[in-house]
Amino acid sequence: MKLKKVIAVLGIFIVFLVGCGNNDDSENAANDQTISVWVHVSREEPEGQAMEESIERFNESQDDYTAEIQFIPRSGSGGGYEDVINAALTTDTLPDVLTVDGPNTAAYAQSEILQPIDQYVSDKDDVLPSIIEQGMYDDQLYSMGYSESGIGFYYNIDMLEQAGIDTDALPTVDEPWDWDEFNHMLETLHDHYKKPILDMGFDDQSEFLLYAYTPFLWSNGGEITNEEQTEAVGYFNSEESHETFSFIRQLVENDYSTISPVEYGFHTGEYALLMSGSWTMQELDEEYQDINYGIMPYPVSSNTHELVSPTGSWAYGMSGTTSNPEGAGAVIDFLTQEEQMYQVSMANSVLPARYSVAERMVEEVSEPMQLLIEQNTKTGRARPSIVNYPQVSRAFQETVTETTYYDYSPDLQEILDTKAQEIEVYLNQEN
Amino acid sequence: MNTVKQLFVRKKVPHINVKDNLTAYLFLAPSLIILGLFLFYPALMSLYYSLTDYYLLTPQLTEFIGLDNFKNLLSDPLMRKSLMNIFKFVILILPIQVGTALGLALLVNNQRKSTIIYKVAYFSPVVMSLAVISILWLYLLNPSSGLINEVLSNFGISAQPFLTSPTQAMYVIVVISAWQGAGNQMLIFLAGLQNIPSSIYEAARIDGAGRGRQFWNVTLPMLKPTSLMILTTTLIDAFKLIIQPMVMTQGGPLNSTMTPVYYIYRTGFTDRQLGFASAMTVLYGGLIIVFTVLQRKFVGGDTNE
Repeated sequence: MKLKKVIAVLGIFIVFLVGCGNNDDSENAANDQTISVWVHVSREEPEGQAMEESIERFNESQDDYTAEIQFIPRSGSGGGYEDVINAALTTDTLPDVLTVDGPNTAAYAQSEILQPIDQYVSDKDDVLPSIIEQGMYDDQLYSMGYSESGIGFYYNIDMLEQAGIDTDALPTVDEPWDWDEFNHMLETLHDHYKKPILDMGFDDQSEFLLYAYTPFLWSNGGEITNEEQTEAVGYFNSEESHETFSFIRQLVENDYSTISPVEYGFHTGEYALLMSGSWTMQELDEEYQDINYGIMPYPVSSNTHELVSPTGSWAYGMSGTTSNPEGAGAVIDFLTQEEQMYQVSMANSVLPARYSVAERMVEEVSEPMQLLIEQNTKTGRARPSIVNYPQVSRAFQETVTETTYYDYSPDLQEILDTKAQEIEVYLNQEN
Repeated sequence: MNTVKQLFVRKKVPHINVKDNLTAYLFLAPSLIILGLFLFYPALMSLYYSLTDYYLLTPQLTEFIGLDNFKNLLSDPLMRKSLMNIFKFVILILPIQVGTALGLALLVNNQRKSTIIYKVAYFSPVVMSLAVISILWLYLLNPSSGLINEVLSNFGISAQPFLTSPTQAMYVIVVISAWQGAGNQMLIFLAGLQNIPSSIYEAARIDGAGRGRQFWNVTLPMLKPTSLMILTTTLIDAFKLIIQPMVMTQGGPLNSTMTPVYYIYRTGFTDRQLGFASAMTVLYGGLIIVFTVLQRKFVGGDTNE
């Protein structure tokens, strides 16, 4: 009798499971024209709200498809969203459209998680070259960035003037300072304040370091890899690289910058300068309104005088397994046209990804944001699109870190040689 | 008639046994199923993946590659570095954390009710998440504005780099980890201490033993089973170090706080090399088992007699 009861309970449980399965099948059949969209932000964020409104406008703009957005917030360490994608890979439940961190495009494309979207994206001539570059893999467009980002050198106007620096004669995008002129300003500030005055984010041990420091390397004519992305030796350990990292090293050796900056040091008047991204403007404008600040562009190599600035952010991609590529393409195209990009960029205080959006925004944003937009549209370059980007970017990070720890790694060329070999292994690693 | 009775009795016994066994197995089933699903099965899968080139983004393309992962692992410089780091951590944390726990237990081991305040104070770090504690200490230890350096400057000591120093960072993590974990073991030692009959101490005092002699000849020997258990669990927990380096130093500076578990996590979920990460897990797990067995033989020898 007891055994029969146990079997009966198990039987009910099994029937329940089967019933759920059947329900799933019928749901799929009824929603052939539904386009699922996964995004990495939460609904409560300004970016999430702007996205949701864009999806609603898409649904109102036509009758062929219905897009459904799902918010899967990304946690600080990269978990959350990526974990859900990884799980979806093993259960074959990817959505039709998903957001992708720019540098992940190559790995996702190679793995066929994404499929090409060239024929679905219109008005490509209006898109910034860095956005196209970020989304390319094997000469095809796999992701379409919907906003840009950039870094500039925030300066405290009051602190600079106290040190005798004329804040009306600072560099502009069209007339940037070279490394020598930049160092001269740092020396003036250091002599006045007798302490490090520039926060370069050296304590960051994340991908930020590649993002922020590659422009120095590129400005000096250096590269991480060859064009085919098969070699790093001879490129990352070149003379141009050595000069670049020497410049970075002396910022710490001369005590202009520090490897352990005070958190929010610029915000509280501890540092006169801060190298940081557009996201810092929100912090300053909302919570540190007594700081009178501006932004100057990247300093340029004294050899080339060419200004290069960092770019890149999240993008929309089409799942390689979508059963409705036309619908998914329609969603991506709509979301990356001028109007929707304008809404997302303004809501999230990020840089625009289209020239037309940039023209609209320039008149409505602050002067510091104007400089970042100008720097981005004129000089932006995408991060390298490499399949093993996590490993390569970490090798670059470690190069920056070891450069700043000059007591422990005195031979700069040795660092570069070691890291070039390391990167070359990652470039050619089979997955 | 006797023959008939005997036959009847024999038939009854097997039936009852079978029924009882079935009931027992049914009660055990939930635990066994959970244990199997979440412990044994993942361990076996890890063993399997360690022999493959499993790449997180293309699970369908996984191929068997024999012992290639293990060969690569043996020549991996960062694995060697992380092993040296964890051995250093383990060697330091065992005496510091266990010693601290025992010291605290002795301090609060008396009959006065007022000690409840100290028990709570010493135990409270245990209830805080390691991630929260790590972030808290990041602020305290900042070289430029941290509270610790403010205090040190009052004694004329120059600002210390702490977590930003390749030579200091691991020692700092040792201290923080010991501080966080000692409270839990204090309670266990406290239970052990309170299980020691007071009559033994009375006998020792009658024989003229002072407080020190009582500690070495009565307290420590009587605490041996408790100590053994604490040492074993501390050893295993120490080998699992990941949160503190992940949150505070990201394995830096210059890989001075990179630990095997953090390296496994990074290789598997950031670099997406799950096959290689599984090989590390298998090898490292085996290493921990070896050290645990060695420790039991070294410390628990008398118990085996």
